[in-house]
Amino acid sequence: MTARATASVATLAATIPEPLARPAGRLIAIASGKGGVGKTWLAITLSHALAQRGGSVLLVDGDLGLANVDVQIGLAVAHDLSGLLKGESAEALATAVPDAGFSVLAGRSGSGALAQLVPEQIETILAGLAAARRYDHVVLDIGAGLDRTARRLASVADTLLVVTTEEPTALTDAYACLKLAAIDRPGGDRRVVVNMAGTQATGERTWLTLRKAAENFLKLSPPLAGVIRRDVRVSEAIRRQVPFLTRHPASEAAADIGRLAASLAP
Amino acid sequence: MRIRTFRARTVAAAMSAARAELGPDALMLGTRRVADGVELTAATEPEEEIAPVVPVAPAPVAAPPRDHAVEQALAAHGLPEGLRAALATGPNLAARLAEALRFEDLPLGPSGALLVVGPPGAGKTLTVAKLATRLRLAGQTPRVIAADGRRAGAVEQLAAFTRLLGIDLIAAPHPATVLRALAQGRGEAPALIDTAGLDPFDAADREEIAALAAASGAAIALVLPAGMDAMEAAESAEAMAEAGARHLLATRLDLARRIGAVPAAAIGGALAIAEGGTGPGAADGLAPLTAEALAARLLTPPSARPARASAA
Repeated sequence: MTARATASVATLAATIPEPLARPAGRLIAIASGKGGVGKTWLAITLSHALAQRGGSVLLVDGDLGLANVDVQIGLAVAHDLSGLLKGESAEALATAVPDAGFSVLAGRSGSGALAQLVPEQIETILAGLAAARRYDHVVLDIGAGLDRTARRLASVADTLLVVTTEEPTALTDAYACLKLAAIDRPGGDRRVVVNMAGTQATGERTWLTLRKAAENFLKLSPPLAGVIRRDVRVSEAIRRQVPFLTRHPASEAAADIGRLAASLAP
Repeated sequence: MRIRTFRARTVAAAMSAARAELGPDALMLGTRRVADGVELTAATEPEEEIAPVVPVAPAPVAAPPRDHAVEQALAAHGLPEGLRAALATGPNLAARLAEALRFEDLPLGPSGALLVVGPPGAGKTLTVAKLATRLRLAGQTPRVIAADGRRAGAVEQLAAFTRLLGIDLIAAPHPATVLRALAQGRGEAPALIDTAGLDPFDAADREEIAALAAASGAAIALVLPAGMDAMEAAESAEAMAEAGARHLLATRLDLARRIGAVPAAAIGGALAIAEGGTGPGAADGLAPLTAEALAARLLTPPSARPARASAA
């Protein structure tokens, strides 16, 4: 252990510009394959809940080119992920969300430059995120779709939350997400979140269905990270561009998110 | 995976409809009752070869800017090249320190417990005495536990302070007695635990501290003298971070001329900088160390170190 410690500090002192590249907090990536399952809302609200539990949290909008975390919570951002390509630090590019205790690294860029990143640039961005050692948790919202970028982002996560709803189409895409993640990172930590569930019981049934398919076809048994019950106030909070936990802290969905955060940061 | 739902009057009828359409290998995912029978969800998985995503080499980024005046100042404090480059990115060192390092208060709420650890002679006992004094002056009655059972006179030294403060010193020479002492009065006042000097590079020493922290729920703060060698400090901090240390207490800031060990330890162990020892006084010899104060000291040449404050 000490040999490793010594070697890594020695490397640290010899390399530029990555002396701060100690692994940061846990990278929690959120993916679904399908759009419209409430992934971005979940990423925002989970970041908020993790921050309320006392951790320092960076929410990274990895829906490159179509990013909208900042819009959902009415946050004016001056910088975005493209700054990482210029060697700036994630800490310097992040914008604090007032009264919510977490920061956002936006994925929207005025120039649209983030929409057409080549794989090499994705790696540069990942290296920049790995160097963001100030945070206990880095929550990465991965865009819809299962393209190379989404798969690469998902593959570096310490924990991958695969989001589905009770719809068969969402279930099919969540399954595809799990399948690709298992190919890209065998043995990784992957868990299922059922969002917009009718009840806790129907949400669990959806997870069991997905798990049964994964067990039979993929020999995987993804555990349930949490069920988030449907709440009409979610879209109301989004319309008003206010973080959900700020507006409806006592709602059932807030309690569900709180339990999810507790399972990720005991 | 292809998912289809089938409705029929009976499960058997739905299953045969599923097999007819999806083939004999169709997987029955589940059924539920609907108005006129059952709804069956079934799936098939086509055979396909999918290659894993292979990472490529990252695109180069422009080298970060360097401020040579700041870099020279950091070199004078004994910071090695890599750490200098990380911190001397611009003229505003305080802003860079605030961005690259963490500055946090110690977790000393009513139910807080702090294991104060470090190599022999780092200043653990005096630091515990100073923290206890500060809490006492704030109207609290911290529980002070001497877990330093090995060194002759260690308990007596701390006892001299606690007597002055009107606090009972709890001598706990074994981990089990530390746990018992912590369990009593938990939630009423923070607990400060003075520990025996350890070797950060000794796995058994680290494990002992990690086990005590895990069993007691106490946070670990590492005490290092500000004047030690910067690389030695970085490696010590990294080793102790593996044992669970999260905060850094830098002692003897008033005596050291070169304090590169402070940022080096914070970076090496990803430790939050909490306090700095600024003088011998129990009441005023320890103060929260801010990015501004640390930057000001690092930008002061070693030969121009501020004069030592006199004992209170």
